[in-house]
Amino acid sequence: MCDIIWCKKCNTVNYLDPYCFWNWEGKIKCADCGEVYYIYMIQGHMYKGPEPRPGEEPDILPLYADKPLDGYVNILPGTEGKTRPYNCTPRHIYLGKADHRKFSIRNRPMRAWAPQPPSAGIAGSQGYYWDIKKLSPEVWEEYQEKIKRGEVKDW
Amino acid sequence: MADPREVRLEDLPGPKSREELEDMKAPYEEYCRKIFDVGNEFIKPGALEGVRWMSCTMYIFTPHAVANLGELGAEIIKIEFPRVADPMRHTSPFNECYFYPLHDTRPHSGTGIGVLNANVNEYYISLDYHREEAKEPFYRLVKMSDGLTECYRPGTFDRWKQSYRYLQEINPRFIYVWGGGFGYGPKAFGGSYDILGQSHAGLASITGFHEDFGGHPVKHTNWCIDWYSGTQITVAILAALYWRRKTGLGTMIEFSQVQAATRCCGYTVPLYGRFGIVRQRWGNWDTQLCVHGIIICGKSDYPNEKNPQLRNEARYVMVSAFNDADFKELCDVIKRKDLYEKYKTHKERVKAEAQVEIYKVLEEWAADKSRSEVVRILTEAGILAMPVKNDKEVYESEHFRQRGTVRWIDDPMFGDMVVQSTYSTGLFSETPRRKFWDFRPVGADNVKIYHELLGYPISTIKEWYEKNII
Repeated sequence: MCDIIWCKKCNTVNYLDPYCFWNWEGKIKCADCGEVYYIYMIQGHMYKGPEPRPGEEPDILPLYADKPLDGYVNILPGTEGKTRPYNCTPRHIYLGKADHRKFSIRNRPMRAWAPQPPSAGIAGSQGYYWDIKKLSPEVWEEYQEKIKRGEVKDW
Repeated sequence: MADPREVRLEDLPGPKSREELEDMKAPYEEYCRKIFDVGNEFIKPGALEGVRWMSCTMYIFTPHAVANLGELGAEIIKIEFPRVADPMRHTSPFNECYFYPLHDTRPHSGTGIGVLNANVNEYYISLDYHREEAKEPFYRLVKMSDGLTECYRPGTFDRWKQSYRYLQEINPRFIYVWGGGFGYGPKAFGGSYDILGQSHAGLASITGFHEDFGGHPVKHTNWCIDWYSGTQITVAILAALYWRRKTGLGTMIEFSQVQAATRCCGYTVPLYGRFGIVRQRWGNWDTQLCVHGIIICGKSDYPNEKNPQLRNEARYVMVSAFNDADFKELCDVIKRKDLYEKYKTHKERVKAEAQVEIYKVLEEWAADKSRSEVVRILTEAGILAMPVKNDKEVYESEHFRQRGTVRWIDDPMFGDMVVQSTYSTGLFSETPRRKFWDFRPVGADNVKIYHELLGYPISTIKEWYEKNII
């Protein structure tokens, strides 16, 4: 959002998105009560306004508007930049890309990182045993260190 | 000398009287631990050994129908499209991958964790059904298998000349399962999703709180109808196998997922049929029993945790005190004897208005307490109360650990892995379920199946691989 028009008459926040209003001059109608405001925006900054211009003909409606004080109605919770931070999604865990790990929470090796050595089998065939000592010696070493330090647990 | 032909009770091993028999019996607990022998499942035979099944499936619903067979000992051949594989491998959560390798040709791709538990103990081959060369190995597999499960849109396998109509001609004992969204009928081409099943079957409309309490129809976070419908297919397959023993004939099972989900709705549809009443959602409370619901407490059990799922959400307790004595005790504990005086009988308590009042009072009482405090106070008073657990607590639960429900396995391909699915479905004393491996890379068993089982020469397999047929 480059700016908002907070209509004090009806307590509606009219969001001015940068796609429409980045460099824009004109009159905007409040999405709820219809009050008309004049703004002049240059490079996303409010140069003039918002000034109420009651009775005048508006040019445009804002793309989004909602009433945060009464609880959001039109905007879905969790919309970034518009509502409160969405606490319940652990975004620090889900990154949208692979989180490569070599050890499970009990510190035993798991094959959860890329790239892996090719199978060298015919037509993509794979064996029934992950020979970690041979295929990933550095992880095996790290695992031995963990065992020595007593970090490897049963649960 | 006693006549050796005479059998005397005192010479026989074992108890000599009914009292002695009772004395010699192991306590039930000990007996159960011995016969189920959790953790030693692999020394026992699998119930379905000898059954070979083909799995032309994707995602969770139909794969899970076959995974059940695989866990019970059947030999499963999972057929995936070459290189691309079951889309579930690339699906969840949030398209993040965790298990490597996926396939030799895609060294940086992995398999998402969402695929776990749905394709257990299977052999993984790849095959492109569109290709003319694929027909022969496919039909040869059909000849030596007991059945097949597929999930393509209705009529797709028929167009490819591999539907039940064609396959029963080459193997009359063949059991053919189609699992999908709607099946034949007015929406034959509708695909299927778990959420679609929950919505179309009317299940979501009775799940969650009523709008009056700020609720909405709710779908389950996990794809529970996929898992549930898959298990229903397994039940159908087992019945078809039994039918085939009696008649020698195969069956076609046509299984609509949205149809299966209606079964979870209980009395909802008959209620409408009898009275014209549309059942409403009642959320975490119960329309038949009160108090018998989930309440929110004021404080989390993990106030300092980083993860909001623990910090904010560990606040819910399930409470049950619906009979008169328990409800009286509950009112004593929360120091609201007047509430008991007001709602002395269950008939009064279970009314909607009463429930609104009672649960509000309970939550007010719990507002300054943490979840564990509430559970402790109520349990000490002899009232059934249980925290609403999250997966961390399920993982840490001693009950699940002792019964082997949640356990660590050393997957032969992917290493250390904690699993719950296989061992969560009842204990067998003689032929328990077991997990040899969870899943394997795409086409990992191409040589085993095409060469060792079907006898194609290695040169043919290499040629197919180069031409992307497998």
